[in-house]
Amino acid sequence: MASSSGNDDDLTIPRAAINKMIKETLPNVRVANDARELVVNCCTEFIHLISSEANEICNKSEKKTISPEHVIQALESLGFGSYISEVKEVLQECKTVALKRRKASSRLENLGIPEEELLRQQQELFAKARQQQAELAQQEWLQMQQAAQQAQLAATASASNQAGSSQDEEDDDDI
Amino acid sequence: MAAAAGSGTPREEEGPSGEAAAPQPQAPTSAPGARLSRLPLARVKALVKADPDVTLAGQEAIFILARAAELFVETIAKDAYCCAQQGKRKTLQRRDLDNAIEAVDEFAFLEGTLD
Repeated sequence: MASSSGNDDDLTIPRAAINKMIKETLPNVRVANDARELVVNCCTEFIHLISSEANEICNKSEKKTISPEHVIQALESLGFGSYISEVKEVLQECKTVALKRRKASSRLENLGIPEEELLRQQQELFAKARQQQAELAQQEWLQMQQAAQQAQLAATASASNQAGSSQDEEDDDDI
Repeated sequence: MAAAAGSGTPREEEGPSGEAAAPQPQAPTSAPGARLSRLPLARVKALVKADPDVTLAGQEAIFILARAAELFVETIAKDAYCCAQQGKRKTLQRRDLDNAIEAVDEFAFLEGTLD
């Protein structure tokens, strides 16, 4: 349950995380609710304990940021030295992941399409699109013209079929 | 898992309280390797920073502190389970944790939480 009161002192590790760890450590074991609650609180206390000690060690070392080394020393001095070897594995993974990430990002920059080429491709696509648009517009214009011409032809044809002063009508068109 | 395996206790189902299905918030920063810490790193960091004396804690320091806390939980759970077995009980009770805390010197700091 996340603490929503905003008070830092009410912070604990979420119950679900603890339950999961208990289940993995003691599969098929029933655990009373108040026992779980206690584990949550103990875990929180443990974190406070180690971080407080690590902070003191950090202060003495004239560094401003608590480093993994400070945490390791804190574990040692508080009697949790047996955790150190496993904890160091985490550190190793951290460094490996960080290294992979750096390599991956530099590899990507090298194998990817360079910016100028991308720009060039973009311009090409734009030009193509413009051309297609122009051709389309021209086709439409031609079709309209043809349709208009045909309409006019049809009109004059039917007009000339009738007897009489069709020419007068044509003069009217010159206005 | 020496405590659970081969101890002769009949297989029990998990208590009805079970686990909350609530998703754990994992820190947005990438966790070590393929294996995420069981503990939400953002919460661990918040706990560390709740200490007014602490100014800055590096990310790697948080990672390994989270791992240490995991180990702590595993250890105390196993210790408590041994107490339950000694009492010929199949369910881990709070008193088993109390006993484990009193029995181990390094857990002396926890005696304040027993209230």
